[in-house]
Amino acid sequence: MNPQHRHLIETEGLIKTYSDNGVQVPALRGVDLTIHAGEFTAIVGPSGSGKTTLLNIISGLDKPTSGKVWLDGRLVSDMSGAELSDFRRDHIGFIFQAYNLIPVLKVEENIEYIMLLQGVPKEERHRRVHDILRDVDLEDYAHRYPNRLSGGQQQRVAIARAMVSHPLMILADEPTANLDSKTGADLLDMMRHLNAEHGMTFIFSTHDRMIVDKAKRVIVIRDGIVASDETRN
Amino acid sequence: MSLYSRLAWRNIFRNKRRTYITGIAVAVGLAALMFLDALYIGMADNMIAAATASFTGEAQIHGRDFLLARDANLTVAGSERLLADLRNDTLVKAFTPRTLSQGMVTSAANVNPVLLVGVRPDTERALSQMDDVIEAGDYFGGNDPQNIVIGRKLADLLEVGVGDRVVVTVSRAGSGELSQDLFRVSGIYRFNTDDLDDGLAFVRIEKAQDMLGLAGRVNEIALSFKDPRVSQDETHPFWTDYSTGGNEALGWPRLFPALKSVYQMTTAASLILGLLLFTVVALGIVNTMFMSIYERMFEFGVLRAVGTRPGGIRRLVILEAGSLALLSIALGVGLGFLVTLIVSLTGVNYQNIEFAGVTIKELIYPVFHLKQYVIFPAGVLLFTLLVGLYPAGFAARMSVTRAMKRTM
Repeated sequence: MNPQHRHLIETEGLIKTYSDNGVQVPALRGVDLTIHAGEFTAIVGPSGSGKTTLLNIISGLDKPTSGKVWLDGRLVSDMSGAELSDFRRDHIGFIFQAYNLIPVLKVEENIEYIMLLQGVPKEERHRRVHDILRDVDLEDYAHRYPNRLSGGQQQRVAIARAMVSHPLMILADEPTANLDSKTGADLLDMMRHLNAEHGMTFIFSTHDRMIVDKAKRVIVIRDGIVASDETRN
Repeated sequence: MSLYSRLAWRNIFRNKRRTYITGIAVAVGLAALMFLDALYIGMADNMIAAATASFTGEAQIHGRDFLLARDANLTVAGSERLLADLRNDTLVKAFTPRTLSQGMVTSAANVNPVLLVGVRPDTERALSQMDDVIEAGDYFGGNDPQNIVIGRKLADLLEVGVGDRVVVTVSRAGSGELSQDLFRVSGIYRFNTDDLDDGLAFVRIEKAQDMLGLAGRVNEIALSFKDPRVSQDETHPFWTDYSTGGNEALGWPRLFPALKSVYQMTTAASLILGLLLFTVVALGIVNTMFMSIYERMFEFGVLRAVGTRPGGIRRLVILEAGSLALLSIALGVGLGFLVTLIVSLTGVNYQNIEFAGVTIKELIYPVFHLKQYVIFPAGVLLFTLLVGLYPAGFAARMSVTRAMKRTM
């Protein structure tokens, strides 16, 4: 099979209902979705439409009320808590809206963190950290703590942390929301470049028009269902 | 340093003020426990020394049942042979024979019941402190067999001073016939202990034996050991070796049950203080850890999201609690040592205070003991790690999405 057509994520009849003081609030009402390796996908929709819930369930951070999720062919509901942790560690990179770097770790240590969990040898870790810092143009900031960096620099470190372990996919939740438009555009160009260069799969949850414009595929979620799914050439 | 250790150590300094306040609270508690334990040991040693060194000795040998009946006719069996054995016993530092009998001392002004003690002044000097607390006259300075040494309270009661004459009346052992003799007060002592200062009168042992009709026999042999711990060890073979032929050898714990209770109380007091400290430690650490966890809820969510297992989160929180404990222990041990050192140089003045029938005569000096620097700090560390399991479990079990709330 062409690796580009590998089914990286598949969902079937995903339903998620939250209970709020006894009131049942539907977040997802039956989502069927397939995402292939190498895609650069934007999931868009108004606030409360279910975008974040969908990403949480795809990444195994949350469980659906009903329905199934397969990650790289493995049924998520069959995985134990530890297996899910290990799967996220080894196969999913996360980029958060608020960067969420570990404040007591230096830039290089933040990037190294996941590789330490994976047990990557020291020399290999250092080589990869050096390479990724060069890719995100932060070589001179390796020994700084996150609070000494600008928002754009912190988000670049977050991208480096997400990518350094060579995950199958990167899930990004509003990654440009806290950045000015120029910084956001630069970061988006960098992620497009990484997608094109390394074939890395990116899935964004976003309101940002710029991301939507540059995405190869745009999935619109509205009222907990897929309202439209457009793939661009 | 491992990843989690490095994270833990840096995390506890994220809120320096809170860490220092908690650390100081635990450190002060540990220092207080160390100091009070040292003081308790010093106080117990002081009281035991006061009780045994003044007159009683660390151990005594009597004829069986003498202590119950206080009958002068119940003498130590084979006392000459025993005295010879004690002279050759390498455990024994000093010993002295005594006669003991109830009697009356009468002066021109008054009369008072006493315990008449017949002593051998040369060996008595090595064992008791009678000669050190003479405040008037001397302690059997000459060879006059009619000399008597009495306490200050008794002298005041009888309205006599050095050189005055008193009559001593006792019952002869066996027959019960009264025996009287005239003595001259040659010395007055002051122990500042009521029982000793108004209830005893000392004469030469030969004179006492003559009055009591004991013909060389003695009622008591008091002794001290080269190693004072022998006197506390009730399983030591010394006691059985000398408890033969109708005799009974007893150490101070059996001679002074109240004092033994005081000694045991110091251990219990340390235990209670320790438990109080550990409770304070537990509450302080748990409170600090929960505050820290709630502040970093999102961060724990991120750590879990990027693949940290629940066990890793648990380990991180326990290491943070352990790091906080180590910091507190370092501070507490230093503080405890310093306070104990200072007070061990100055001493604490409880002089002339009577407790459990014993008057504290010397300054109390805290005593350094290995447990204060090994067991107490280790206890704080272990207890901290133990109570750290609670917040650690909480952090490990928290829902990732709930922790991260608005985002993934």
